[in-house]
Amino acid sequence: MNHYVPLNKVLFLFLILLFSFNSHVRSNDILKSDTVSNIRTVFKAEELIRGERLFYGLVSKDKGTESCASCHNTIVSDELNWNPDAVEISRKYSGKSAGDLSRVLLKPAGEKMAEVHNNFKYSSEDIVLIKAYMDKLAVTGLKQNKPVVTNLFLFIVASIIFLISVTDLIISKKLKRKWIHLLILTGTGIFITNSLVVGALSIGHSPDYEPDQPIKFSHAVHAGQNETDCIYCHSFAHHSKSAGFPSENICMNCHIVVRNGNRSGMFEIAKVVGNYEEKIPIKWIKVYNLQDHVFFSHAQHVEAGGLSCQECHGPVEEMDRIRLNQKLTMGWCIECHRTKNVNFKNNQFYSDYKELADMIRNGKTDSVTVEKIGGTECMKCHY
Amino acid sequence: MKKSSSRRDFLKLFGFTISSAAIAASCKRPVQNAIPYVIQPPEITPGKSLFYSTSYFDGHEYSSILVKTRDGRPIKIEGNALSLFNKEGTTARVQASVLSLYDDARLKYPTIDNIQASWTSVDDQIIKKLSEINSEAGEIVLLSSTIISPTTIKLINEFGARFNKFRWVQYDAFSYSAILEANLQCFGKSVIPDYHFNNAGFLVSLNADFLGTWISPVHFIPKYTSGRKPENREKGMLRHVHFESGMTLTGSNADKRIKIRPSEEKQILIELYNRIEAGINGSEFTGISGRVNLSELADNLIASRGKSIVVSGTNNVEIQIIVNGINFLLGNYTDCIDLNRHINIAAGIDNKIEELVNDLDSGKVNALLMYNINPLYDYPASDKFLSGLGKAGLTVNMSCSLNETVGKAKYECPVNHYLESWNDAEIIPGQLSLGQPCINPLFDTRSFQDSLLKWSGNMVSWHDYLMANWEKEYFTGSGFSVFSKFWDTSLGKGVFDYNIAEKKTLSINSELLSRIINSSDSVKTDGFEVVIYESVSLGTGMHVNNPWLMELPDPVSRHCWDNVAAISPSDAERLNIITGQLIKIGDNLVLPAFIQPGQAEGTLSVALGYGHTNSGPVGNNIGLNVYPFIEFKGGTRNYGFVTDTLENTNKQSELALTQVHNSMEGRPIVRETVLSKYRNNPSSGNELHEEYESKHRTLYPEVNYDGFHWGLSIDLNACVGCNSCVIACQAENNIPVVGKEEVRKRRIMHWIKIDRYYSDTPDDPKVYFQPLTCQHCDNAPCENVCPVSATNHSSEGLNQMSYNRCIGTKYCINNCPYKVRRFNWFRYTNNKAFDFNTVSDLGKMVLNPDVTVRERGVVEKCSFCVQRIQEKKLQAKLENRTLKDFEIKTACMQACPSGAIVFGNLKDKESKVSQLFENPRSYHLLEELHTLPSVGYLTKVWNDEEIES
Repeated sequence: MNHYVPLNKVLFLFLILLFSFNSHVRSNDILKSDTVSNIRTVFKAEELIRGERLFYGLVSKDKGTESCASCHNTIVSDELNWNPDAVEISRKYSGKSAGDLSRVLLKPAGEKMAEVHNNFKYSSEDIVLIKAYMDKLAVTGLKQNKPVVTNLFLFIVASIIFLISVTDLIISKKLKRKWIHLLILTGTGIFITNSLVVGALSIGHSPDYEPDQPIKFSHAVHAGQNETDCIYCHSFAHHSKSAGFPSENICMNCHIVVRNGNRSGMFEIAKVVGNYEEKIPIKWIKVYNLQDHVFFSHAQHVEAGGLSCQECHGPVEEMDRIRLNQKLTMGWCIECHRTKNVNFKNNQFYSDYKELADMIRNGKTDSVTVEKIGGTECMKCHY
Repeated sequence: MKKSSSRRDFLKLFGFTISSAAIAASCKRPVQNAIPYVIQPPEITPGKSLFYSTSYFDGHEYSSILVKTRDGRPIKIEGNALSLFNKEGTTARVQASVLSLYDDARLKYPTIDNIQASWTSVDDQIIKKLSEINSEAGEIVLLSSTIISPTTIKLINEFGARFNKFRWVQYDAFSYSAILEANLQCFGKSVIPDYHFNNAGFLVSLNADFLGTWISPVHFIPKYTSGRKPENREKGMLRHVHFESGMTLTGSNADKRIKIRPSEEKQILIELYNRIEAGINGSEFTGISGRVNLSELADNLIASRGKSIVVSGTNNVEIQIIVNGINFLLGNYTDCIDLNRHINIAAGIDNKIEELVNDLDSGKVNALLMYNINPLYDYPASDKFLSGLGKAGLTVNMSCSLNETVGKAKYECPVNHYLESWNDAEIIPGQLSLGQPCINPLFDTRSFQDSLLKWSGNMVSWHDYLMANWEKEYFTGSGFSVFSKFWDTSLGKGVFDYNIAEKKTLSINSELLSRIINSSDSVKTDGFEVVIYESVSLGTGMHVNNPWLMELPDPVSRHCWDNVAAISPSDAERLNIITGQLIKIGDNLVLPAFIQPGQAEGTLSVALGYGHTNSGPVGNNIGLNVYPFIEFKGGTRNYGFVTDTLENTNKQSELALTQVHNSMEGRPIVRETVLSKYRNNPSSGNELHEEYESKHRTLYPEVNYDGFHWGLSIDLNACVGCNSCVIACQAENNIPVVGKEEVRKRRIMHWIKIDRYYSDTPDDPKVYFQPLTCQHCDNAPCENVCPVSATNHSSEGLNQMSYNRCIGTKYCINNCPYKVRRFNWFRYTNNKAFDFNTVSDLGKMVLNPDVTVRERGVVEKCSFCVQRIQEKKLQAKLENRTLKDFEIKTACMQACPSGAIVFGNLKDKESKVSQLFENPRSYHLLEELHTLPSVGYLTKVWNDEEIES
């Protein structure tokens, strides 16, 4: 599910542009000498086509050499690709020369990249052409997926058939047999009603919403493999309404040293470091979006209620990209409030509920659900 | 034909369904970003509020306050409980000041000749001009509002000492010059005394609205109400007699109110003086008796010698001298009137300003620096001031917000809002408070003090200067060993108190006094005397672009968005004038008339503060400016004038009235008694309560609460009707401003309003104030009629309102006997037609993130500040403890300077609110309807012989 809007793209581009000046290949001397004299800006159409073919690996080089496009996406994809996409790299190098690109491409500094780019044998002329194509990519951006036949399309078709059938039944009467009309009307009617009901019920829901984040941050790596506690980064969960997103200085506690990712190489971590050094905040995309009129407090649920993060957020430690695990409907909240118990016996606060306390003392009940102390009332969450 | 037309309808409907389904299916939810800090400041926790203590002083009004900030944005003002001066109380204007921070009409950058300039170029040019003027021995004048910051005063003196000829003049839009002068002439001290109403047993006030506007209501209200507790048998209850022309808040609260014409005041005081003098000497009073019988009053005052207060609010030196004489005669000084710990609220001497304006006009002043003043609006002879301004070689204006004076000086050096500045204040000698910024300056502005430091060539920042001065002046003797600790503690508390030298014995200039006593003025008996007064909402008018204040109804007349000419009912009848009719007063003042019960015959009252022409979109062209009608007479500005002609233009204008029915129609809505009856029977006046309680029957099952049952008690004897709770509620609960047109349609949105009733004697009515909010009835009539159950009852006794369920049938509004529910006729917060500051992104910064901003088409009402209840409950849970009484304070309770509002848990029998509900004075509004409200009222007790009505 890709939910980028154009504005975000622009901001994202802006971030990358800013941060590209601060990457690990920065060397002012090279930049000066190359950029001033040697950049070719005018290419023939054939040359651009050859650059594109080189990028896609359509010009036969050595067997075993991967094409650029095989790792660097050129099409918008829902799948998580650890490698930076083609446009991301193109934009990073758009202000630099083919010489710069060649240096990084053929003699990479990062381990991961060195491994993949191991036996690349591009001539400097090839790289000039690849760079020419990349400069074009930087402007055009990623290709969009081809539209697929969606429910909406089927819905419109069914509606048209329904309409024709009704018109024929009442006015034109071309088909003499009424049962055909009835069959069509029943079939399309069921489909239309079903689509409308399902559609209406899911308004505002984004099940499995899993957007690409500005940095390919993996919870699976951080919380899963490295067993970083959730609270290390989301440090307000125990005492505030919001759990909080980590500020970049928290990231830098580790990434001051750790600069190489197993799967992403240096590219993604370099973004954090770059942003931190340039003092640019990261615009994460929020996945768990509650409506504005819902007041949810992490402290209430995590600290007072003693819930673990996974109970609402799912197995985050197994997710690379964070995925919306719930529909976040009111029914889902209420269900939990009806079944979960409050910490009645151990928290002094609840001793004000004298009647319930008596019932527990007399053994009439042994637990108190959230609902019993008013946890399903409107103004517990909406005010 | 019928068939085909129905087919067409069907097709239309079908097409609409398909297209709307297509739109619904194709729209994506907008992407929301979460943007963390690059480096998280340790004190900021997202989702939690931080409170900073600071000081509010705008030149007229002072409060030590706490500022609630959320993610770095100030969103609410609360009183500082550690302050000896205002305790937890605040006034409406202090509450509203947070909205002025986000006012788009604020000045955003320095200008030279009204063209944007950089601070460096402004500074360079001003420094150069100042030194030029100084070398030519020209005079440099700083004209500022009253300054009560001791460090700023030191800085100004240092700044002035650099020049050969420097003059600092303080100017108050509403002058207290006469009191300052009178005390200087009588006692040799140019001060405004502090009045301890709580120590007094008998109070006579003349034209002094000390509960509404005079000197410092936030300081006087708690003293006044604590002196008027009927329960206090040992000390007794303060009796209050008030003389005035217009109907003010103070007059409304007085036990006895006597209507006078302003010209009568001096004769009354002279007679009173002579009667008291005779009484004390044991001789018979032989002077002339005036219209008002004063013999009883004089006897009462003599009886409470040393425990009485006489005050006058008239800006006339002779009157103030007589008042001083009476108080001196009665021995009221020290215990009840304190000249030693005086109130530094105003320092402007009218003569000095007249002198300055004359000097300006004759070109004697070479440089004029103006700070926090607006003389082109509020100086009576503003034309003369403007022409004088043109004659000065260097003119600099330092103002925070747009006003009439802005743009008239060559250099505009906009100053920070007080919430962006460092400051200190000494409101009473020995009672210091600090001011600290709660947000970075939003615009390219600079504090006044930083400008002065720059122009004196001092490279120190104002913050460092302030700290250095505190280290020098107050650190020694503070008991702290390290300065940083002293500073941090003072900053955290907001206040620092130190002992001052005690007073010497007082002697009065008796020669002067006897000269004045034996003089006489003529009393006018014909024509109209016009009283020009400060309104409770807008005061001097400096905050006129604040829509909260603009829509705050006057507590007595209950109108807003206009100034009117209040006229007495009998005069109105005689001249055939009805409310809203435009009347022509004198030659050129045309105002809508307002028939004000209790207005003295032959007088008119008109409020200051309106009629702005350049103060921003909200304040411009609302009402008329009456400052030009103020006359300079006898060394002071005289807030009133006399006219012989009053003409009815027969044109009608519609006023924005928030209450149109003035009578209780004989129903026991406000229950009252008098002190003598109360002493015999504490439930006197409230006999009905017991009767209704005994008839308490219901077919429904009784509601049983476990844990919490929230309740609110309002003491009608303590409430003076100051309106502070109204704005506090508005700020806390994101209540929109609807504008004049909508108020006329009775669509004002306030969740708490203060109803005002008159007894049925329009010429001399008793006035009752009753704060009215949702009663959270246990048997709520609104809940039964909601077709979608959007309003229902919680297990904690709250009448809940669920905005997302509400479909706007308004059945609940119709069925609510208290009329406290409000309907959102428009989407006020985003509709450009209601551009009252919160429509812009800047203005939206004031919104409380804990309260939903309501959509169009839903009903809303008081929630008992449920967000505060939930917050404190959670805090108790996190700390593993029970909730404490007074831990949860609703916004109205928090802001109330008189402590009239008490919120708490009715299930806890120890809580204050439970005890108040058991008080014999306690009753519920319309309890005969058996709505079982969770709001209780305590009866009003007058310290009077009998209730006249």
